[in-house]
Amino acid sequence: MRLGIAIDSRLCMACYCCFTACKDEHCEHGTALSAPQPMMGHFWMDIREWERGDSSRRIKTATVPTPCSHCQDPACMKAAKDGAVYKRPDGIVIIDREKAKGQKTIVDACPIHAVYWNEELSLPQKCTLCAELLDDPNYLSHLGDPKLKVPRCVEACPNKALTFGDLDDPDSEISKRVAEGRVTQLEPLMGQETNVVHLNVPTVFLAGTVYLPEEEEEVCIGAAVSLTCEETGESWETKTNYFGDWEVEWLPKNKTIRIEITHGGYKVAHYTAKTENDHYVGMVYLEKE
Amino acid sequence: MAEKITYSICVGGPVAIHTEDGVIRRIRPIIFDKDDPPGWVIKARGKEYTPYRKSTAAFIALTEKNRAYSYDRMRYPMIREDFVETPDGRNRNTENRGKSGYRRATWDEALSLVAREINRVQGTYGKESVTAITSSHHSWGLLGYKLSAFARFFRMLGYTQILDNPDSWEGFTWGAPHTYGYYWRLGGTEAFDLLEDALQNVETMIMWSHDPDSTRGGYAAHESTMWRHWLKDMGVQFIYIDPFNNFSAVKQADKWIAPRPGTDAALCEAIAYVWLTEGTYDKEYIEKHSHRFDEWAEHILGKGVDRKPKTPKWAEAETGVPAADIKALARRWASTKTMGGSGLRGGFGGVCRTANGTEFARLMVQLFAMQGMGKPGQNIWAGTTGAPMDYNFWFGGYSDPLAQIANQPVADHTAVNCVTQKLYRPNLPDAILDGHYEWYGEGFCGGGIDQEFTRHIYPEPGCNKVHLFYRYGGTFMGTMLDTNKWVRMYRNPELEFVVNQDIHFHGEARFADVILPACTNLERCDIGEMCNSGNGGYQSHSQTGNNWQIVVFQDKAIEPLWESRSDYWIFSHLAEKLGWGEKYTEGRTEVDWCKRFWEKSDLRDKISWEDFTRKGYYIAGVPENWERRYGFRWFVEGYPCDTPNHKPFQEEGKLGTFTGKFEFVSESLLHWSPDDEARTPIASYKHSWEGHHSIRTVKYPFHLISPHPRFDYHTQHNSSTPWIWEIPENRKYIDGNPYLIARIHPKKAAEKGINEGDIVLLFNERGSVLCVARITFRVEENTIHAYGSSGIYNPVNPGEPSMDIGGCVNVLTPGRLIGDKVPGMAPNSALIDVCKYEGPIPKGQGFEHKLDAVARTEDPQVETCEEIIRGHGFASIQKKIRRRFLSKKEATVK
Repeated sequence: MRLGIAIDSRLCMACYCCFTACKDEHCEHGTALSAPQPMMGHFWMDIREWERGDSSRRIKTATVPTPCSHCQDPACMKAAKDGAVYKRPDGIVIIDREKAKGQKTIVDACPIHAVYWNEELSLPQKCTLCAELLDDPNYLSHLGDPKLKVPRCVEACPNKALTFGDLDDPDSEISKRVAEGRVTQLEPLMGQETNVVHLNVPTVFLAGTVYLPEEEEEVCIGAAVSLTCEETGESWETKTNYFGDWEVEWLPKNKTIRIEITHGGYKVAHYTAKTENDHYVGMVYLEKE
Repeated sequence: MAEKITYSICVGGPVAIHTEDGVIRRIRPIIFDKDDPPGWVIKARGKEYTPYRKSTAAFIALTEKNRAYSYDRMRYPMIREDFVETPDGRNRNTENRGKSGYRRATWDEALSLVAREINRVQGTYGKESVTAITSSHHSWGLLGYKLSAFARFFRMLGYTQILDNPDSWEGFTWGAPHTYGYYWRLGGTEAFDLLEDALQNVETMIMWSHDPDSTRGGYAAHESTMWRHWLKDMGVQFIYIDPFNNFSAVKQADKWIAPRPGTDAALCEAIAYVWLTEGTYDKEYIEKHSHRFDEWAEHILGKGVDRKPKTPKWAEAETGVPAADIKALARRWASTKTMGGSGLRGGFGGVCRTANGTEFARLMVQLFAMQGMGKPGQNIWAGTTGAPMDYNFWFGGYSDPLAQIANQPVADHTAVNCVTQKLYRPNLPDAILDGHYEWYGEGFCGGGIDQEFTRHIYPEPGCNKVHLFYRYGGTFMGTMLDTNKWVRMYRNPELEFVVNQDIHFHGEARFADVILPACTNLERCDIGEMCNSGNGGYQSHSQTGNNWQIVVFQDKAIEPLWESRSDYWIFSHLAEKLGWGEKYTEGRTEVDWCKRFWEKSDLRDKISWEDFTRKGYYIAGVPENWERRYGFRWFVEGYPCDTPNHKPFQEEGKLGTFTGKFEFVSESLLHWSPDDEARTPIASYKHSWEGHHSIRTVKYPFHLISPHPRFDYHTQHNSSTPWIWEIPENRKYIDGNPYLIARIHPKKAAEKGINEGDIVLLFNERGSVLCVARITFRVEENTIHAYGSSGIYNPVNPGEPSMDIGGCVNVLTPGRLIGDKVPGMAPNSALIDVCKYEGPIPKGQGFEHKLDAVARTEDPQVETCEEIIRGHGFASIQKKIRRRFLSKKEATVK
C-alpha cells in the first residue's frame, strides 16, 4: 500500500479550502503522530503561487498546493537521527514528535521546504496526510463507506483538484489520474518517487498577438505561428485565434525559441524569445508584401 | 472522547461541526451518505455531467471555529466607561465614542439601561425616534437572522426603518428594469435551467466585471466551480472584462480585456457600433421585441444629439482597449453562441457600482437582446446559477415573508411597524449630521419601477428625528462608503444613545454606548437552507446556484461562549424588560420556532421532525426527468411564461417595461425622470463625476477599485481569523498589523518608486489607508486594486477620522450617490493617489484596542494582552478562560 495525493494544478483555483482545513485540523491540536501546529507561521498545506507573464496582455497564475511529498526515499529521514523520521507501511512519512526534538536539520533537509520549525516546542513538523484520522476506525464511521475517509485537505477541495488513494492499486482513482494525467514532478524532487504527485504544474508559455498593419485597426486571424528550438530540434505550430492571439504552453525552460509568423499577402515576421520565464512576445503588426 | 457531529450553515456554505466535550474540534463540508438522493445528470455534447456527492464550503466557512473562539469575541455586556445616563440625553461625552474603553456589565444592568433609554427616547420624541439596522450577512438561519428575530422585535416596538440600498448590484436595480423590466428580480435575469442550456449550446462566455470564483454566487460556496471547468474543458472560450485580472480570470481566461475603470459603457456602445455597421445582430428579434431601437441606433452611429459615432476608435480613447480588440470582441460575440454578463447572483461586478453603473447595466441588457437573448446558448447567464432543481419543493429563504418569525404563518401574530418615517442606509450619516435629508427610492424597489421614484424626506413631516440608534450585526465600517462620515455621525450628540448587538468587536461596535454580545451560529439553534435568499424582493430560487438543495437543522454545537447569548434570547429579554416579552416569544423556545418552519414548509411532507433533527440535514432531490423551464425561453418562443418566477401579473409574452419590450429608449424614464443626467432615457456612456475626465485627476491620478472581496465575506472573517492574514494575496502581517494588499501596475509603481512589499499610503481628501504594495501586471495601468469590505477598520487614532492601517479602503470612496434620482452608491468611482509610506506606525494596535474591550477589565488575573496576541487567542487560551468562567457561575438575568 502506498497512500498519496494526486494534485492537479490545472484544477486548483487557489480557493484556500485545503489550506484552511489543514489548519483547522492541526492548529493547537496534537495527536500521537503530530504535536500541535502553531496558530500562525506553519503551512503544512501550502498554496504556492506565482504569476506567469510579463505583460498585462497575457497574464496567468500557477497554483501548486504543496504539502510534504511523502517521498519514497525521504531526504529528511536520512538527515534525522535516532529514527526521528520514519516511513509507515502505508507510505506515510512521519516525524516522531518526541525523537525529533531539537533536530532542525530535518527542516533543512527537505528539498521543497515543506517541513516547518516549531520554535516553542523546538520541533520539526509537517503534513501527516491526516494519518491519525485514517487510523481512527470511529472517525466518519457514520458515513458507512471507509473510502469517504480522506485527508482533510482532499475532503475540503471543491473541485477535485486533490485525489487521495492507494498508488499501488492500479484500479484506484488516484492511480488512474496519475496514469492518464501529465505528471509534473516539482523541480527539486526531479527523479524521485513521491507519494504526493503533482499534475499539470506549468512550465513556460510564449504568447503574442498579431495585427494587420496598424492603420487597419484589425487583428489578424488565422496567421500561422511556428516556433522552433534549434537546441533541441523541437518545433510547435499554432494559429492566431479570433483575437489575433497565439499561445504555446509547455515549452522547455531556458531555451532560445525562434518564432515565425506567416500570413498570406504579408511579410513574414521573425522573432526570437528566451524561455527563462513566461513571456508575451508583443503586439505584432504585419507589413504588406 | 465523545465526539458529536452537528450541522450548520454559514454565508460560506453548509458545514458539519465536530465537537469534543463541549469544544469545537473541527469544521468540515458535508459528505453525503448512501441514503441521500442521487444528483442530477445533464447530458451534453456526448457526455454526462453530475455533481460530486458533497456540499462545498468556502474557506471562510471552514474558519468558523476561529470565529467562535476568536480573540475579538465580545464576551460580556459592556457599557462605555464615560457614558453618563443623563435624564435629558445630553452631555453624554458622545465625542469620545470610538475612543473610550468599556466596563463590564451584567445582562440585567445592560438590558435595563437599553430598555430605560428606549422608553425615555420614545416617550420624549415619539416612536419614530428609535432607529435600527441589521448588517447584510453576518449570520445564517431563519430564526436568528435579520428579517426574523430582529424584525419581529423592532416592528413590535415601532421604529424608523433604515432602508437598505442594493449595495452589491446597484446599477442593475436602478438601470436594467428600465430596459427589460425584471424589477421583481432587482434587475437580475432568470437563470432557470440555463446550466443545462450552457453545457449543451454555449460557445463563448463573456464574464464582464464578474469574478465567480471569488463572489461564489452569493452564498453558494464553490458549488459552481466545477461547471466552469466542464465548460472550459469543452473548449468554450472565456473572455473576462475587468480592470483587474480577477481570480477567476487569471486561472481561466482565454482573453482578458482591461478597460479603464468606469468606461465599460463606452465599450458596450462600441460593440453595438460594430454590430450595427456590420449588420451582425438578430434583426428579426429586434424588430419583434424592441422599442425605439432605431433612435438608439442613430445615437450609436453618430446621428444623435451628440453627433459622435461610437466607433471602436472613439472607445479606445476612453477605455484604453485597442480598437482592433474591440472589433474582434464584437465579432466573436456576434458569430458564436454567447452567454455571460454580470449582476446580482450572477456576479456582483464592480462596474454596476460606478457613476456609470445604471448605463452599463442597461447597455449590457441591450447587447444581449441584440443577439437574441433567450435562444439556446444565448442569454444573460454568468455561470453561477441555473442548476436543475425541484421547483415543487418549498422551504423559505430569509427574505421570504412566509419564512420569518415576524409574520404569520410561522408566528401566530404578524408584527407590524407603526412608524412610516424612513432613513436610507448610504446617507444615514448625512441625515444625522445635517438633520435633514431627501432621497428617492424604496430601498430594493422590487415591487415596481415606480418605487424608484418615491420621494422621501427625513424627518418625515410630523415626525421627530431619531435619537437612539440600535446596530445589529456586522460592521458597516468596511462596507459603506466614506467611512469617516460614519465616524462623524457617531460622535454627534444627536445620537443620544447607541446600542451595538454583535458577535465580534469589529469596527463599528467600538462606537456604541452599550454592547450586547451575541453568539455565533454554532452556539444556538436555527434552521435554514443553503443559499436560499427567498422571494421577498431578492432573486428567487437562488439555490439554483447550488448542486444540491440542502435544508439544515442548525443544531447548537456548543453552549454560548462566555456571556454571549443568541440574538433571539437578547431580543426576548429586552422585550420582557419593555413589558411585552410573552407577546414577542408567543411562548416559544428557539427549537419550537425551528419546528414551526419545518411544519409550515414542504419539509414536513418529506421527513419527520425526529428524523430531520437526528440526521441534521435534508437534501431535496431532483426528479430524474425534471421539468425543464429554461430562463427567458418563453419570451423568445412566445409561449406563456413557465419559469417559477415570482413576477407580477402582466400580459403573457411581455416584459415588465411599459411597452412590454426591450426599451432602447426608456419610456419609464421619460415618464418619471426625463431630466435625469446620470440615467438618460437613452442609455449612454457618460463621463464619471469622479473619473479620468475630472479635474481631480491632477491631484489624484489613480482609479481605486474595491470589488467584493475574495478573502472575506463582507467584514466578518478577516478581523477574527488570523489564518487568513497569511494568504499572500490577501494581507501581509508585519509587526502585529495585518496590512491589506493593494495592487499596482509595474509601470506606475516604478514612477512612484514603489517596490513589491512596500508599505504604501493610499490617500485622497477623504482620508488615508496604509496597505502593502503588490506590483502586478494583473491591473490596468491607471488602476489600484484593493478589496472592499476589508473586515478590519483600524484608525491610528481611534474615534478620529485618521489614517487607517486595517485596510478599510472605503475611507477613500465617495459618499455621494450615482445620481440625484439614482440612489445607488459608487465605490468604484474613486480617485486617489499613492506613495511609499515611511512615517511612524503603531505596532500591534489592532489587538491592543480590541483587548481593552474584551479582556482587560474582565478579570485582573486574565492572561496578559501579549499572551493573547501571541497565541492569537484561540482554542487553548479560550478554553482556559472558559473553564474559569464556568467555575465562577454565569451571571444571568433572572
